[in-house]
Amino acid sequence: MRRKLKISFIISYLILIVYAVVSLFPFIWAFLVSTTPLNGIDPATGEKFGVDIMQWPPNINLFRIPPKVFGVNATLENYKKIFEVVPYYSRWFLNTVIYALALTIGNVILDTLGGYAFARLKFPLRNFWFILFLSTMMVPFQVTMIPQYNLMVKLGLVNTYPGLIIPKLTSVFGLFLMRQFFLNFPKELEEAAIIDGAGIFKTFFRIALPNARPAVTALSIYTFLGAWNDFIWPLIITSSKEMYTLTMGLNFFKTSYYTFWQYMMAATILMTIPMIIIFLSFQNQFVETGRFSSLKG
Amino acid sequence: MKRKTREAIAGYLFALPIIITVITFTIYPIFAAFYYSFTDYNPLNAQNLETKFNPQEALELHLGVFQSEVSSVDEIIDSFDLLSFIKYDVGVNLDKTKEKIVLESFDVKKLLKDFVDGKLNKEVKVSSFMAKYLKKGEKYFKKYIPNFLGPYNFKKMLGDQYFKISLFNTFFYTIVVVPVQTFLALVLAVAANAKMKGVKFFKLTFFIPSITSSAAISMIFWMIYSKPGILNRLLGYFGFEPIAWLENPNTALPAVMLMNIWTTAGYFMITFLAGLQDIPRSIYEAAQIDGATPGKIFWKIILPLLRPQILFVATMGTIGCMQVFDQIYFLIKNMRNITISFYIYKNAFEYGNMGYASALSLVLFAIILALTLIQKKFIKESY
Repeated sequence: MRRKLKISFIISYLILIVYAVVSLFPFIWAFLVSTTPLNGIDPATGEKFGVDIMQWPPNINLFRIPPKVFGVNATLENYKKIFEVVPYYSRWFLNTVIYALALTIGNVILDTLGGYAFARLKFPLRNFWFILFLSTMMVPFQVTMIPQYNLMVKLGLVNTYPGLIIPKLTSVFGLFLMRQFFLNFPKELEEAAIIDGAGIFKTFFRIALPNARPAVTALSIYTFLGAWNDFIWPLIITSSKEMYTLTMGLNFFKTSYYTFWQYMMAATILMTIPMIIIFLSFQNQFVETGRFSSLKG
Repeated sequence: MKRKTREAIAGYLFALPIIITVITFTIYPIFAAFYYSFTDYNPLNAQNLETKFNPQEALELHLGVFQSEVSSVDEIIDSFDLLSFIKYDVGVNLDKTKEKIVLESFDVKKLLKDFVDGKLNKEVKVSSFMAKYLKKGEKYFKKYIPNFLGPYNFKKMLGDQYFKISLFNTFFYTIVVVPVQTFLALVLAVAANAKMKGVKFFKLTFFIPSITSSAAISMIFWMIYSKPGILNRLLGYFGFEPIAWLENPNTALPAVMLMNIWTTAGYFMITFLAGLQDIPRSIYEAAQIDGATPGKIFWKIILPLLRPQILFVATMGTIGCMQVFDQIYFLIKNMRNITISFYIYKNAFEYGNMGYASALSLVLFAIILALTLIQKKFIKESY
C-alpha cells in the first residue's frame, strides 16, 4: 500500500515536471534568442558573423558577467534596438495601454452598473433584455464583425481610437459576471440601508459597490488581458501604423524583420512581460478561483 | 414618487449604457449579417457613392481636352460616352436597372454646359453629383443598396472548393485538439491533485501560455518550427530530416494544433483541479481499501464525478477551435490549410465579398450551436 502510493507520487511528480519544462521552454528559448547579438553576413567581407541561435545545447553560463548564451556574451541591446529600428514600437505600446485601460474602465463602470440593475432593480422589460442578451452569447465574433466594421465606416471612425474602443466598452460576459456577484451578495445589508432612508443610488455607491471589489478585480483583469492580447478587432479597424496595437505590431515585425529573430523575440518578450507581471501579482485570482473560466478557447 | 417608479427609472439609468451598446454593436449586427448574407454587399461599392471627386478633371480625362480649350457644348458632345463616363471616370457600379435609369434620365446637356461654363471645378460627393444631373431615379444613387440575391450565397458554398477545404480543416482541427487538450488537462490535474509540495508552482507555470497573446505565441513557435529551428535540431539527434513545418501543407495544420494544445491544456487543468478538489478524499480511500487500481479509480470514479467540468472544457474548447483565427493568420501560408474563420475574414476584408462572408459566418454559427447541443446531450447521456 505504502509503496504503491509512493510510486504514484513519483509518477505524478514526473508528469508535472516534464510538463512544466514543456510549458516554459518556448518562453525561455525566446528569451535566450532575444539576448544574443544579431547574426548575419558581413556585407564587406561576405563572412558569416554572429551566433547560431538554434544550437543545442544552448551553452549557457550564468555564473559570469556578462552571462554567456549560445557561447557568446548575452546582451539586452536588442530591447533597445527595436525602438530604434521600428520607431513605432513605443507608439504601439501606448496604443495598447490606451486600448486596454479604456476597455477596462468602461467595462468596470458600465458592466457593474448594468449587473446591479439586472440583479437588484426591478424595471420594465428586465427579463426581455436579459434573455435577449443571453441569446447573443453564443454568437461568434465572425458574425458581428462585418456589420460592426461597416457601422464604423459609416460613422467615420475607422482607424481612430473611438472606433477601436467604443464597440468594446461593454460586454455581455462582464454583465453576467457582475449580475451573478450581486445575486449572491447578501441582500440584508442593502435592505438595512434602505430602511435607514438611503436612496437607490446611495445604496449602490455606499453599500453594494465597495463590497463588490473581488468581482470588479476579476472583471478588470479579464478585460485588460483580453484587450492586451486582442488581435482580430485591431486588425480590422486599424489601417495605419500609428494606430496599431502590439499584436498588430508583431505582425508588422513578422512581415518586415522576418530574418532578425533576435528583434522579433525581443518584441515578443517585451509585450508579454506586462501580462506576466499582472498574472503573478493576481495569481490567486487566476489559479484558485474558477472565475476565468472563459478567458480563452 | 412611488418607490416602484423610482426603482424602474434607476434601473434604466443603470442599465441603459449597456443596453444601447449591446443593441448597437451586437444585436443590430446580427440582423445586419442576416440581411447581408442574402445580398452581394461589397464595401468598395458602399464607399463608392461617398467618395469625393472633381467632375471637371474627370470630364477632361474622359474627353481628352482641357476645359479651357472648349468653348461650346457642340464641340464635345460627340466624344462623350455617358455610360463609360459614369462607370469608369466617376466610378459608379451600374447594374441593369441603374444603367437604364442613367440612360433615360441623365441630363448630359446640362452637365456639358456646366463644364463649358467652368462650374465643375470643385470636389463633390459622387452621390450628390448623381442627384444633381439625374432628372429622376436619384434615390438609386443616394444610398448604397446591395443587390438582393436570395439564397445565392448559400448555394455558392456548395460549389466553393475553399469553403469545403476550410470547413474540413476546422473540423479536423477541433476533432483532434479538443479531446487531446481535455485529456491532457485531466491527466495534469490528477497528477497535481496529490498532496505534495510545489503544486502552486506547477499551477502557475501551466497557466502562463494561456495568458500570453496568441500573436506572441505564434511568433515564438514560428521560430521553433522554422527549418533551421530548434525542433528540427532536436529531432535531428534521432535521425529525422529537417522539415519546414509551417511551409509544408501536410505538417502546417498539425503544428498549429500542437501549439494550440500546448496553450490551453494547462489552463483547462485549473478547471479540472478545482473540480477534483471538490471530490471528498474519503471516496478514493474507500476505493483503495476495496482494492481498486489507480486506472480503475480514474475511469470509474474520477471521470464520472468530473462530468460537469468535462462538458464545460469540451464545449469551451470546441467553441474556441471552431473560431480559431489568430494562429492561422500568423502561421498558415498555404490556402490548403486555412480554417473557416480565416476564410470569412479573407472574403470580407480582402476580397470585398461581405455578403458571402456573412453567409459563411452564419453557417459557422449554426455549426457551433449544433455542436454545443450535441455535446450537451452526449456527455449527459454517457456514463
